Amino acid sequence: MNDARTELLKGTLDMLILKVIALGPTHGYAIAQRLQQISRDFFQVHQGSLYPALHRLEDRGWLQAEWRESETGREAKFYSLTKKGQRQMEAEVANWEQLCSAVGLVLRSSEGDF
Amino acid sequence: MGWIRRLFHTSRAEKELDTELRFHLDHQIADNVAAGMEPGEARRQAMLTLGGLENVKEEVREAHWETRLENLFRDFRYALRNLRKDRRFSVTAILVLALGIGANTAVFSVVNALILHPLPVERPVELTFLENAHYGPSQSFPNYRELRDRNQSFAGLTGYRMAPMELETDRGAERIWGYLATGNYFDVLGVKPALGRFFNQKDDVNPGASPYAVLSYGAWQARFGGDPAIVGKTIRINRLPYTVFGVAPPSFHGTEILYWPEVWVPMMMQPRIEGRSWLDERSTWNTFVIGRLKPNVSAAQAEANLNSVAGELIRQFPSENDGLLFKLTKPGLIGDLIGGPAKAFAFGVLALVALVLLAACTNLASMFTARATDRQREIAVRLAIGAGRGRVVRQVLTETIVLSLAGGGAGYLLASFLASILSRLHAPMDFPMQLNVTVDWRVFLFAMASSMAAALLFGSAPAWRASKTDPNAALRGASATWGRNRLALRDLLVIVQVALCFVLVSASFLSLRGLQQALQMNLGFQPQRVSTAAFELSLAGYSEERGRAFQRQALEAIQQLPGVQSAAYSNSVPLSIDQSHTSVFPADKTDLRPSDRVGVVRYQVSPEFFATLGTRLLAGRDFSWNDDSKSPSVAIVNLAFAKRVFHGENAVGKRFPSYSGSPVEVVGIVEDGKYESLTESQQPAVFWPILQSYNSTTTLEVRSSLPAAQMVSEIRRTIAKLDPELPLYGAGGLEQMLGFAFLPTRVAAVALSAFGILAIMLAATGIHGLVSYSVSRRTHEIGIRMAVGAQPMQILRVILSRTAVLLLFGSLVGFASALALGQVITSIVYADHPRDPLVMVSVWLAIALLGLFASWSPARRATRVDPMVALRYE
Repeated sequence: MNDARTELLKGTLDMLILKVIALGPTHGYAIAQRLQQISRDFFQVHQGSLYPALHRLEDRGWLQAEWRESETGREAKFYSLTKKGQRQMEAEVANWEQLCSAVGLVLRSSEGDF
Repeated sequence: MGWIRRLFHTSRAEKELDTELRFHLDHQIADNVAAGMEPGEARRQAMLTLGGLENVKEEVREAHWETRLENLFRDFRYALRNLRKDRRFSVTAILVLALGIGANTAVFSVVNALILHPLPVERPVELTFLENAHYGPSQSFPNYRELRDRNQSFAGLTGYRMAPMELETDRGAERIWGYLATGNYFDVLGVKPALGRFFNQKDDVNPGASPYAVLSYGAWQARFGGDPAIVGKTIRINRLPYTVFGVAPPSFHGTEILYWPEVWVPMMMQPRIEGRSWLDERSTWNTFVIGRLKPNVSAAQAEANLNSVAGELIRQFPSENDGLLFKLTKPGLIGDLIGGPAKAFAFGVLALVALVLLAACTNLASMFTARATDRQREIAVRLAIGAGRGRVVRQVLTETIVLSLAGGGAGYLLASFLASILSRLHAPMDFPMQLNVTVDWRVFLFAMASSMAAALLFGSAPAWRASKTDPNAALRGASATWGRNRLALRDLLVIVQVALCFVLVSASFLSLRGLQQALQMNLGFQPQRVSTAAFELSLAGYSEERGRAFQRQALEAIQQLPGVQSAAYSNSVPLSIDQSHTSVFPADKTDLRPSDRVGVVRYQVSPEFFATLGTRLLAGRDFSWNDDSKSPSVAIVNLAFAKRVFHGENAVGKRFPSYSGSPVEVVGIVEDGKYESLTESQQPAVFWPILQSYNSTTTLEVRSSLPAAQMVSEIRRTIAKLDPELPLYGAGGLEQMLGFAFLPTRVAAVALSAFGILAIMLAATGIHGLVSYSVSRRTHEIGIRMAVGAQPMQILRVILSRTAVLLLFGSLVGFASALALGQVITSIVYADHPRDPLVMVSVWLAIALLGLFASWSPARRATRVDPMVALRYE
């Protein structure tokens, strides 16, 4: 795993988790799997950062959790977005997109100027 | 409030976290197996990517703590910002809290010093004071010896006595107070000397043969300039040489909390210190006894053990030990003698001062509720953008906690200041009485705890209001949220304030009335224009014969002074700290059983004593100089004595058996008086002619037309001419000397008046706030009323009727509580009637005036509302 991937921008993991959960209530393992699949194995999220993040988001009231049966028939903790979480995710995504396009503009313009 | 829940349900949260992580791990293993790994390898790989179950758990826990801290910081920052914005409000609230918490903490520090603070000795919990269930705090010295040698429960029993002594220093002879203590005293208490050594068992064997002294740290500093070479030097006590063995540490001042002795002398020196030896007298009960329990012996076991010894003592010496029964009490306040009333007083005052804090909290609660109403919109906005109600409540509580801590800190400083003043107070009398009020960790904890309690008390109402805010209604317009509910809460708070105010004001009025009654009470003598001065002849080495001559000589010299109307001497004066007792038998008893004894207050007085003090002689005659040892025994008694001993018959000329059984003839009857305290029930008293029963302790009483200060200096000069070495003590006007008797009443009156004033201020601001609020809320309505022609009086009636109803309700509740609390109040103040109708009527009046005063300016504002302006309002 290279350094770029471990040093996700602070808060970025939170945004990605919110985004994945926005697709529907999920448990922790599935979130990790899905992040890995969707990013085509770019993100391999460690439990050591995933679970603290999940619990932090729950503490902040962005996620809510409930225990129910998983696809394998075992009890699992399913996370879903709260209204507040939904708003938070939208704001963060908008922020991120602005940041990306701004960074892109700067990078492109510098190519032309020199 | 998830975070609070989580704090209390950690074990459940832990279990859930474990299940969650194991679920993840098992899925990972299953997926690894599906990808073709060996089961063992699959597990190893899964564990590897997990990086240790415990590590992950630890990180999750940390994440929780981080959010909690973040939230806490955010709440505090938010609270500080809000409070800074509203500076006037914050300063008022902090002031109110500082007064409330300060008053409570100051009272608590006194309770702490008096009751909770342990004696500065080794393992103070093992120490216990020996008391007689029937006779009070002292034992006879022979009984002390028997108990010391026969008990099986104590590691050590020590006997001691407070005693005045005459100490010579460079400044001449002075009367001081010290302890006579048995040789094992310091060893039993486990105190280490600051300098030199203490005396021990071997130094206290034969009467008169142990002229040794231990100085208190204060005496060493003040009277010997802290002389580092004091150990081994000789000092003179009662004109005899004593060797200084050592100096006690500064913290140690014996085993009485209020008493600060200057010197300790071995008990065997008692005959030299007090003149007459009672070390072998079974009938003289002069010794205090303190014991250190053996390890693993309970106080109850020790008490049982002592009482089995008491049984033996009763059989051996039936006439002296009749009814002997021991009980163990906490040392420090001379058993229940001072301990009982002091505790009742301290806890009574503590209860009342707690009411002051409660009133302050109620006041703040209504201020906060009003403020919460003003902030309704803000709170509604916060709710609308998704802040949880728990969070809003938490923020309101954070604000109250920040305020409480600030108020508590200021209150703590205020209490420390008051405590330092109290510690420096000396009672106005010839006795080293002082209470060292230290502000220790208990006091600090108390201040903090009362701050937190206050925060919760006054924060819960506004927090509850805030959590009930309906964002939709609040945002549509503030008026929509003015439900009946909130008004009821504010009304309730005002009722509580008025009720508390009623109770506190009635307590303070009762204490003032008590003081007034005490000052006007018939004491049985007229202290005005009487001066006194005392000296102790046996301490100064006078024999009885020389002593008698000196007393007579001194009196005659003083009678010659210009301005003197009459003069006399006696062993003591009523209501001073030094009172003596004896017992007699009813006149009709001839077999003189110990159980028939009547305890009476006893004085030894010279002729003209009653005329000088202004005590009325009701029948018979005064003593004359012929009532001496050559003539038959006579006595003058008070009315209560005549009733008790002669069953109300005319007693003059009749005889009664004295303590020893020998008959005494009554020659006169005087009016009743107060002898030991202002609150005592009427006691029988007997006066012996001092010529028939010598006493070396001499108090001169002089009635004159001169001011006390001038008279006292004349007395000093006169005595100094007769014996330049003899120290005088207790010199001053009798009225001032009675300070001791009036002290509790005065202290109570000052303390309770302060509480009363605080309560009035709080109630006044509370009512003022309520009326102002309702006027500003109803400006619109008032405008309409005025526009349709309402007169100012009608407007006033509308505004004030509600206040009047609240006042009435509050006063009724307060009246009922004050009646119910009468018992508590009488434990603090001297009051003939705790339900004195005059007091109750004045309190009603005071509350009515208070209500009128507090609502005056807002009510006037209501009558001046300009309808045009009011209708345009909002």
